[in-house]
Amino acid sequence: MNIGTIIMGAICAGLIVVVLRRGREPSLDALERWLEQFAYVIPQLAVALLTAGFLAKLIPGEFIAGLLGPEAGWWALIIGAVAGPIIPAGPILAFSIAALFERAGATPEALVAFITSWSLFTLHRVITYEIPLLGLSFLRLRLLSVGLMPICAGLIAAGILRLIG
Amino acid sequence: MMAKIMTTITASITTTTMAEPEAPPNTFWRNPRWWRAWAAAGFGPMFVVFCVLALVSGALVWHLKGPDVFWQALQEDLAMVWQTVPRVVVAVGAASILWVLMPREKLSALVGRNAGVRGLIFASMAGAVTPGGPTSAFALLAMLGAVGADRGTLVAYISAWATLGLQRILIWDMPMMGFDFSALRFAATLPLPVCAGLLARALPITLNLKEERRLRDKL
Repeated sequence: MNIGTIIMGAICAGLIVVVLRRGREPSLDALERWLEQFAYVIPQLAVALLTAGFLAKLIPGEFIAGLLGPEAGWWALIIGAVAGPIIPAGPILAFSIAALFERAGATPEALVAFITSWSLFTLHRVITYEIPLLGLSFLRLRLLSVGLMPICAGLIAAGILRLIG
Repeated sequence: MMAKIMTTITASITTTTMAEPEAPPNTFWRNPRWWRAWAAAGFGPMFVVFCVLALVSGALVWHLKGPDVFWQALQEDLAMVWQTVPRVVVAVGAASILWVLMPREKLSALVGRNAGVRGLIFASMAGAVTPGGPTSAFALLAMLGAVGADRGTLVAYISAWATLGLQRILIWDMPMMGFDFSALRFAATLPLPVCAGLLARALPITLNLKEERRLRDKL
């Protein structure tokens, strides 16, 4: 039990109380979504974690640490930012991989750059949602205005870590 | 064009509010087809793909590193699953309740109405609290574009949804990466959607949003 689990449990308990007070229908809607999301996420997540664990044994930790760890210096930020969108998968696989990187010794700022760039530019989301709904013109605008965000986030994260020691 | 979209939006809002009292009670759990769809969603093709990946990587570990390493890895993995999965279950529940409680129409109205840096801040906040996956976020984004929100607002909204989305932080960051890391990432990304929105406004390029294509227009 760590602080995150406790906060999450408290948030969830509070939300359950709120939705129950709204009445029967909203509560049932929420329950239905909960079960739905459970089906979409949990079985895949369990197996993805197994896969990531096996991969961790196969890919030498030194290799990942060399690319994303302290030895890589500022390069780690750039490598993290470039690696993010290449993972054409939903959060299940992306976060399993991020957890794997973390265990292998990636620096927090490189992980921030990795997750930020994955969440902004993951390929399958661009292809399935952005281009069909908004068009290439919007993608170009976004690449130009948001493109450096992952590296900025990594730099700010590094700054915060220095500040708080 | 714009007037047409506005009327369809207001029409859809009024129909949903009108229909609410008459909507049949939700009895999904009594429907065997719902449960069959549920099982198919949980253990469908993607699940099989992940299983195959796990088997292949497991077999590779057994073959290349030997059975001892395999059993050790399996033990560590199961401990990780045992630690992570309950937390994600709780997080998914919280996100589902939020999705039901959040007034989505009010959200887009709020974002469309405000301009300036204030508008960008509103857009970022709306992006952070928009529940649901990419389907709902990009649908809302397209709707914002259609009602004439400026490009800075659009960029700030979708960037905030992607990086600061509370639902993703709740379901993925906190259970899988820990509280400290999620807080660090949140703090490091917090100012960036507004900056990106300002940058998007300043860029000297033209933006042509795709026109919405409806099936009924092709008839």
